Amino acid sequence: MIAYTAIGLLGLLALSIPVGIVLFLLGIGIDQFFSNFPLTRGLGALVWSSSNSATLIAIPFFVLLGEILVRSGVAARTYAALDKWVSWLPGGLVHANIATATMFSATSGSSVATAATVATVAMPQAEKLGYDPKLFSGAIAAGGTLGIMIPPSINLIVYGFLTQTSIPQLFLAGLIPGLGLALAFVVMTAIICTLRPSLGGARRTFPLSEMMGALVQLVPILLLFAAIVGSIYKGWATPTEAAAVGVAGAFIIAALFGRVDVAMVGQATLGTVKVTSMIMLIVIGASFLNFTLASAGLGRELQAFLSGLGLTAVSTMLVIVLIYIVLGFFIETLSLMVVTIPIMVPLVIELGYDPIWFGILMIVLVEMALITPPVGLNLYVVQGARTSGNLSDVMLGVIPYVLVLLMMAGALLIFPQIALFLPALLN
Amino acid sequence: MADNVLRLLRTLNRGVAYLIGIMLLACAAFVLADIVLRQTGASFGGTDEISGYVMAIATSWGMSFALLELSHVRIDLLRQQANTLWRSLFDIFSMVVTTGVVLLIAYQCWPVLERSISNSSTANTPLETPLVWVQGPWFAGWVWFGVVSTLTTLSALALVLQGRFAESERAIGAFGEADLL
Repeated sequence: MIAYTAIGLLGLLALSIPVGIVLFLLGIGIDQFFSNFPLTRGLGALVWSSSNSATLIAIPFFVLLGEILVRSGVAARTYAALDKWVSWLPGGLVHANIATATMFSATSGSSVATAATVATVAMPQAEKLGYDPKLFSGAIAAGGTLGIMIPPSINLIVYGFLTQTSIPQLFLAGLIPGLGLALAFVVMTAIICTLRPSLGGARRTFPLSEMMGALVQLVPILLLFAAIVGSIYKGWATPTEAAAVGVAGAFIIAALFGRVDVAMVGQATLGTVKVTSMIMLIVIGASFLNFTLASAGLGRELQAFLSGLGLTAVSTMLVIVLIYIVLGFFIETLSLMVVTIPIMVPLVIELGYDPIWFGILMIVLVEMALITPPVGLNLYVVQGARTSGNLSDVMLGVIPYVLVLLMMAGALLIFPQIALFLPALLN
Repeated sequence: MADNVLRLLRTLNRGVAYLIGIMLLACAAFVLADIVLRQTGASFGGTDEISGYVMAIATSWGMSFALLELSHVRIDLLRQQANTLWRSLFDIFSMVVTTGVVLLIAYQCWPVLERSISNSSTANTPLETPLVWVQGPWFAGWVWFGVVSTLTTLSALALVLQGRFAESERAIGAFGEADLL
């Protein structure tokens, strides 16, 4: 059954059938071949129960928040302000890319939106100031991946929903690895640009008064982050309610900059419906596949599979990580997570690992998938914002950051506390 | 003919998408109002339940819009390598399979609504929402998705048979990855 699912999955995906539909097909196939009960009869009830969800409505809210923020003009101001604070480091403006991406990640639930936003404001600067395009664009693509790690995160909501783990705990677990990655990206950039100054740009310092003045520009984003994350941990709001708070906050920011009008709200809502439906087809399909796999006895088969392998828990985990890295070349973020959750998460729990910890490890691996060719969404997003040059520039530029992500995956394997420390504190 | 059908479907679904957007905005406002009320000790009650219904209906009705905007993610590694004719065959095949699955989903959703109608079921909550009110629009959304998929597939097939590959690709092709958001 595991082999059938894995081979069927890859084959049908390769035929370019939509990912969500492939998941339904596999579920129907498992019902036909491996189950004694007619599971497909439960399809309707499952479609209802998996979409009638007050948890999942956080997804359109967070998407909408991002859509509004992108159109609010706050990105350019944030970028200019952070430039004044970090451009003294070796690598100059490259650090502003990472810092802006980090700040946007703290309000946006999506990596692609984060990369797109930062790329739009940063790219014109690179061309103006004569930066080497490789490292510069690589830093945006990589920094953008933080969007799904630093809370709020749409991917963590979906993971929590499908594995029935606590979303507030997942959010908390992602905080230290997310900020750690941001810091590691900065350190990596500084090391590279110290060794090869030509890869960065001019280091610039600004007078203290200008730096302090720039801080004002950061206030909207920081307030928004505090409102979203703060209201969850103060116990005022569920993640869904916090997302609604975020939507209101984004509207206020956009209104302050005079960007709210009918056309803008219309565009933002159309984008929201599009992205939400895309995500939900995959989520409902995965719920159905989850249900059929569990009903057809995946648990038993996994145990037999594991004892048959005769590997230790650690080496099985290494194999799993390897599978994600390989799949990550071809399959993207949410699809990669959702198509693997029905098999991988029961397996990992069977091995005795914590599902919250595995969620964070999976996010690191999925971040890597976002920036590894041939299919790496953020590479294309960043390239899309450039006016000249090849995609290969961006691909070369992300290599150091892929190494950082690999190191973080290793660190999580050796020190699970990096992810589990904060959630444990909450309990 | 095929062009007109596709144009009409696109216009209709854009309208639907705006309506869903308004519904989602209203829901967010409602949730916000409840948070504020709670600080004063009061509450509307039932925001969770209503958000769930909004999500179910928004999801089922949004599917067709996403389909016509080519937003449902496809892995097009092989497809990209193919020439125009083969690409259009990939697209038609993918649409036929999609339509089949969507029609099956819509068909399987009917018993859920039927049971609520025949039992006059109400939600097991303080609001005691009659489930027909919310499952009716939800079911209609999946039926609409089935109708839109079928018509889109037929129109695209007509375009391919006429050798108008570029137009069929615009209707059912796969977008560059970067266009997702």
